[in-house]
Amino acid sequence: MSGLVLRIGQGVVTRCIGGIAGIALRVGAAAIVVLAAAPSARAQSAPQARQQALAQAGVGRYSDAEQTARRGTQQPGGIAVQNTLGEILVLRGRRAEAESAFVRAAVPGSGAPDSLMARFNLAAAHYEDGRHDLALSEFDRFIDVYNAHADSLTSDEMTAVALAVERLGATNPELFKDALKAFDRAIALDGTNLRARNALGEMFLAKYNSADAQRTFEGALAVGPDDPGALLGAARRLAFDGQPGADSLVNRALAINPSYVPALVFRASQLVDLEYPAQAQQDVDRALSVNPNSVGALAVAAGIRYVAGDTVAFGKLNERAEAASPRNPSFYTDLAESAGRVRLYSAAAAFARQAIVADPRAWHAYAVLGMNQMRLGQIAKGRASLETAFKGDPYDVWTKNTLDLLDTFKNYDEVTDGKFQFMIEKDESAILSIYMKQLVQQAYDLFSTRYGYTPPPPIRIEVYRSHADFSVRTVGMAGLGALGVSFGTTLAFDSPAARDAGPFNWGSTMWHELAHTFTLGVSDHRVPRWFSEGLSVWEEHRGRPGWGFHVTPAFLQAFQAGKLVPVSRMNDGFMRPAYPGQLQFSYYQASLVCDLIARDWGDSALVQMLHGYARREGTEQVFRSVLHTDLKAFDARFTAYVQERFARQLRALSGDSTTVDALQPVARLSRLAAEDSTDFRVQLQVAHALIQRNETDAAVPVVERARRLFPEFSAGQDDGPYRWLARTYDARRDYARAADVLRGITANDETDYAIRLELARVLEAAGDIRGAADALEGAIFVNPFEIPVHEHLAELAEALKDHALDVRERQAVVALNPADLAGAYYRLALAQHVAGDDVSARRSVLRSLEQAPNFAQAQELLLAMVDGGGYE
Amino acid sequence: MRRAAMAIVLSLLSATGARAQTQVLIVSGLGGAPRYTQEFGDLAQRLAGAMHSRFGLADSNVTWLGERAVAGLPHYAGESTGPNIEAALGKVASKARPGAEVLLVLIGHGSGSGAESKVSLPGPDLTAQDLARLLAPLSGQRVAVVDLASASGDALGVLSAPGRVVIAATKSSFERNESQFGGFFVDALTKDGADTDKDGRVSLLEAFQYAAHETERYYADGNRIQSEHAQLDDDGDGKGTGAPDGRAGDGLLARRFFLDGGERAVVAAANDPKLAALYARRFSLTDSVQALMTRKEKLPAASYEQELERLLVALSRTGHEIRALEGSAKSGGGAS
Repeated sequence: MSGLVLRIGQGVVTRCIGGIAGIALRVGAAAIVVLAAAPSARAQSAPQARQQALAQAGVGRYSDAEQTARRGTQQPGGIAVQNTLGEILVLRGRRAEAESAFVRAAVPGSGAPDSLMARFNLAAAHYEDGRHDLALSEFDRFIDVYNAHADSLTSDEMTAVALAVERLGATNPELFKDALKAFDRAIALDGTNLRARNALGEMFLAKYNSADAQRTFEGALAVGPDDPGALLGAARRLAFDGQPGADSLVNRALAINPSYVPALVFRASQLVDLEYPAQAQQDVDRALSVNPNSVGALAVAAGIRYVAGDTVAFGKLNERAEAASPRNPSFYTDLAESAGRVRLYSAAAAFARQAIVADPRAWHAYAVLGMNQMRLGQIAKGRASLETAFKGDPYDVWTKNTLDLLDTFKNYDEVTDGKFQFMIEKDESAILSIYMKQLVQQAYDLFSTRYGYTPPPPIRIEVYRSHADFSVRTVGMAGLGALGVSFGTTLAFDSPAARDAGPFNWGSTMWHELAHTFTLGVSDHRVPRWFSEGLSVWEEHRGRPGWGFHVTPAFLQAFQAGKLVPVSRMNDGFMRPAYPGQLQFSYYQASLVCDLIARDWGDSALVQMLHGYARREGTEQVFRSVLHTDLKAFDARFTAYVQERFARQLRALSGDSTTVDALQPVARLSRLAAEDSTDFRVQLQVAHALIQRNETDAAVPVVERARRLFPEFSAGQDDGPYRWLARTYDARRDYARAADVLRGITANDETDYAIRLELARVLEAAGDIRGAADALEGAIFVNPFEIPVHEHLAELAEALKDHALDVRERQAVVALNPADLAGAYYRLALAQHVAGDDVSARRSVLRSLEQAPNFAQAQELLLAMVDGGGYE
Repeated sequence: MRRAAMAIVLSLLSATGARAQTQVLIVSGLGGAPRYTQEFGDLAQRLAGAMHSRFGLADSNVTWLGERAVAGLPHYAGESTGPNIEAALGKVASKARPGAEVLLVLIGHGSGSGAESKVSLPGPDLTAQDLARLLAPLSGQRVAVVDLASASGDALGVLSAPGRVVIAATKSSFERNESQFGGFFVDALTKDGADTDKDGRVSLLEAFQYAAHETERYYADGNRIQSEHAQLDDDGDGKGTGAPDGRAGDGLLARRFFLDGGERAVVAAANDPKLAALYARRFSLTDSVQALMTRKEKLPAASYEQELERLLVALSRTGHEIRALEGSAKSGGGAS
């Protein structure tokens, strides 16, 4: 036993002073288990007892650790174990007893090798007690220690200084830099100091600096691959960046130390975000059984009760947290962040305010408040809160990014239209507001009727020309994959000019986000993400042909392979997708769930489900109360629905297709395709081979057969066989067939601009002017900035005598500020005149003549209106 | 203001007299790659074609020199070597009467800087300094040099001269990326849309403004950083302007530089006192409109609109009378 300790070496003993979690990493998981399991020896020396107590604590055997440490304190030199005992007691929530131990160790001249860490622990305990000013004055003394003894401090002592100075950052943000310096120095003195590494990583994360946090935690894991603190830090960093893998890291940490409260709290918090409160509660219960006074665990527990509407239990937890740690802002800040993550923005703001009341120096709480005020559309208030947060802590990247973004708001126009308030960049507000006003009103009217709900005005719609700006608006950082976000009555999305977002359909995006406004509103913001997304995609499908996600071979292959999440766990598909593509599949799958419910229970059931969530029912309960089924039964029903709805496509994909030899004679290829006429992949392979060899006549029937098997395929593929087929029919002047193929493609791909223009041209060639106009309208939802498209649509509208459309398109041309502005205004005036709106026409013709005073046609039009004569 | 208006009338008359004499030399350089060879050839060929089809210039007045790879295209007249360009300009100098308009258009890849700015040509390149020397004999003509090459900005200062319009696709020799301005400038002269004042003709100023506007849109629509900023100089100071308005400084000459003939109506007005009076009134009212517009920001919106409408109605009636006298009221032709 003693040999084992000796083998570990003195370095480990020194290291253990630094932190309980670290020991496992230094000696390795296997060694620590052996050490922790070693029977207590009566004759154990104080250092040995301390070592074993730390080892026991490292694997979560806190009770054993406490006993071992207490025995150690009775031995000669037992003072060296007092701080360790105190830290173990803190882990169990027994702060009063811990304080006594810290006091003993911290007494000057006590002889405790870790007296400086004890002083830090004591000050931290005072803060937890609500004695903030006392704690801060105690932390402040560490600056003197550093100034007087910097060169002689050990790594662990330097860590104590760093931790104290970091706490002082709340009073003077410049001190964060000193804390960083002290952490770096502690690590330089002892590269195995995991407490310093982990605390530094956490500090980076607290400042939203994930890159440095990642680097730091990677360094920690290189030193101690099994250190629970490092594993948890790395998990937090992954979760922060929205990357997969956090689950397995935190599970590893808990496998090593099943009583590691921070890890249990983190996992519970993740489960709350996933909207699995029952599972989260299990982790919270476990955490509270270890440490009944854990503020983090109490905050998660209170959050669960709050979301469930259990005000009594929430109130009790609130009181318990206050008793455990009076005026501790982190309880409310945690609650605020948790509420914000489940879309309860008003509650989030209210909790953040309570955190500020508890501690006016809780700068992060100001940041959380500001962010949620911004989400609520309270821009001025949000800015003020963020300014306060930034003043107190200028190293918070999230706040800085958002304030930088707010500085750019002067480049935007605010356009109010009834209940809507648009914020669009000045350069494009004229053109975008024409279409957005019209579309959002249409969607609003439809949704108001369907959901029987009127959102409180105004509905604020922010449109960002830079995807990075949109990302900052949404999550405080660049790099968000989404195109739009709805915070309820505040929507934000990419402008169609945001090329860094890639091609997308702004119309369907706006439609989708506004649908969230209604589903969030009806459910009192309690709708789970999967259902809200499903309804939004379901609404997109009803908005315009082609909008939203559609079935693809990859989706059905995932279905066949059992890789879609069951309906009972659909939030997983959104919140922690297991493989690339699952997120997109989940959007479509959720819309299919809505399709199924609408088919079997009616559209009203979807609305009733939202009301169920508003009553604080969980998903299982909502399915029972509204659909009178349980989730397991619904899972089976959904599987049957997909099999039935896509029976033809599933059959076409289920064959054992072999690779087709593309060099076979044409006749053989054609025969092969005919023989395997129900195998989609064979049709595609043969079609591809024939197209490559320019065997047009042979390829056409094969591609047609593929279309019959899987009409939804080929979306977005520029050189896909369906598009080839359309071009072939077009070249043959068979416009009806070409249009049919192109319509099929546009019905399954909302983002392809060129193909919509192609469809319009083909339809026009076939004499279908209305169809051509509709196709151009569809194109404008992808790209509204092309003047010739608007001019042509105006001409088509003129031919159709659709005056409203003609006027709108002429307005669009003017809004795009063409070189020939006089001509554009004149044509707008003419369209308005023909539409019978001479008030507007007169205004427009004056604008035309203002540009070109001697423009003969405009002069004649003006005179016709002034004199009441005719004009042709 | 009246004096200014009459000056325009006189200059238009002057332009009318020079109509048949407009000489055009288009030079397209080496593409270096099939894409650019085709692009330069296409621009030059379109421009040369428009000189015939849109501006009514005689074949003998339009010369296009390009690389041999595009020799098969219509209007091609020979290889764009230094000696051939020198010869063509010599021919122009010998043909062009004093006061006649001469247009030199350069298309291609630009390089060099300052006086050594040049367009890549088959054989030795001609520098801006060489071109300035070759253009010197044309001091009695109204010359416009349009350098649509990338990195052409420095050439503007070298080619600048009193009474000469110089347009460069870029602000300096540092703007070396592929230029979009050239394509839009050719569009302005070959397609509809650049006649922004609706007088039925496209001046060099309008073509410049159109191309600059569309270039800006090209970069803005693509969220790209604009890497070219075209310049125009026609006050002889060797310094270009990016947004000339034709009312003062750069742009005054270009505003009156037309490739086609002058305004027929103005000629008619010179022989008809009634028409002359109407034209005088039209110019006066036009001046008033422009004067009002300069005060727009200072006036209450309602007052401005009221006065604008009053003036424009009066101007429209005058225009209508002119057209009635000329037999073209409601002709829809656009020009007045």
